[in-house]
Amino acid sequence: MNQLAQQDLRDEEIVALCQQGQGEVFEILVRRYMEKAFRIAFDFTHNTEEAKDLSQDAFLRAFTRIKQFDGRSSFYTWFYRLVVNICLDYTRRKGRVIWERLEKEGEAGSEVVELVDTSALLDEEVIAGEAKRRADLTLEAMPNKQRTAFLLRNHQGLSIPDVARVMKTTEGTVRVYLHRAVAALRQSLLEFV
Amino acid sequence: MERTDALKNACKDFEEDLVLFYYGDDSAADHRRVEEHLKTCAPCRGFVEDLRKLLPQMAKPSELPQSFWDNYYHEMVAKLAVQQERNSWWKNLFVPMRRWMLPAFGTAGVATLAIGLVIGKGNWHPFGEPREKIPQEILADTNQLEFFRSMDMIETLSSLESPDGTKVQPGDDYHS
Repeated sequence: MNQLAQQDLRDEEIVALCQQGQGEVFEILVRRYMEKAFRIAFDFTHNTEEAKDLSQDAFLRAFTRIKQFDGRSSFYTWFYRLVVNICLDYTRRKGRVIWERLEKEGEAGSEVVELVDTSALLDEEVIAGEAKRRADLTLEAMPNKQRTAFLLRNHQGLSIPDVARVMKTTEGTVRVYLHRAVAALRQSLLEFV
Repeated sequence: MERTDALKNACKDFEEDLVLFYYGDDSAADHRRVEEHLKTCAPCRGFVEDLRKLLPQMAKPSELPQSFWDNYYHEMVAKLAVQQERNSWWKNLFVPMRRWMLPAFGTAGVATLAIGLVIGKGNWHPFGEPREKIPQEILADTNQLEFFRSMDMIETLSSLESPDGTKVQPGDDYHS
């Protein structure tokens, strides 16, 4: 099968080929989902290198467990769950460290901001940066499940049924988590509205 | 002040509905209900407006150059290759033996079964030691037992008194 034909394969077809021993086609799934996986990890870690490591760990885990995938959910739901679980394990291990680092960055006046050069920012952009920092702090302070539901819905654009499948909970519970997360964020950002 | 009041006083009963309304995750009926409510409730309108200003900003992804993604992909492919190698190193040990593996293991399996049957014949009692076998001659036939019991009863009956008060002896003609 040539490369062009491989690119057109559906996720389930690629998974089936991997389960039959053609592991090299897994690279297509990497190309397809690497940006989403990285973004989720970055939302949890706020660090490019850590986000890259965690998301790549998720791909490795998916690759080694591909034979356990039984097709009851879609591949991307199953994979999202892996990424989220790895990120949650990371946040539990890091725990307080993330909170302290974010607080210190705030106290120091954002002398280092990931991926953004602050030296030439206009006032509006400085305010936006501060709002983002405040939002990040609020997110970090949230219970994991609320934060996860919010990130998957707001940042990743998953539907509520898909969020429920990833989090292995009910849609009603996801709505509650989402509501609480949004209400908390809005409350923390009132002055920026 | 009015704006501040609007921010703080969104209807509590509607907050969850307002969040779903913002995301478009509500049902058609709920969507209409919230729309009607928003026509007359400034605090709730303010709440939804705030979400429209704040939430998309939070979701804006950071821009990363294409070189980052190319490096990411190539790193990942290399890691997958290493993992695949680890998964298959033990399988490679058996590659030279593949041709005769099946008949060899099959023969070994049959031989093991045969040896086990020969050695273990009669000595394997999965449900405990069997009861001692009773010779057939001694086994009591149920029907015979019933016959003997009935004979006992007849003998007992025969010792009963006859209607005229005399004892009935065995062999007596009862009707005479």
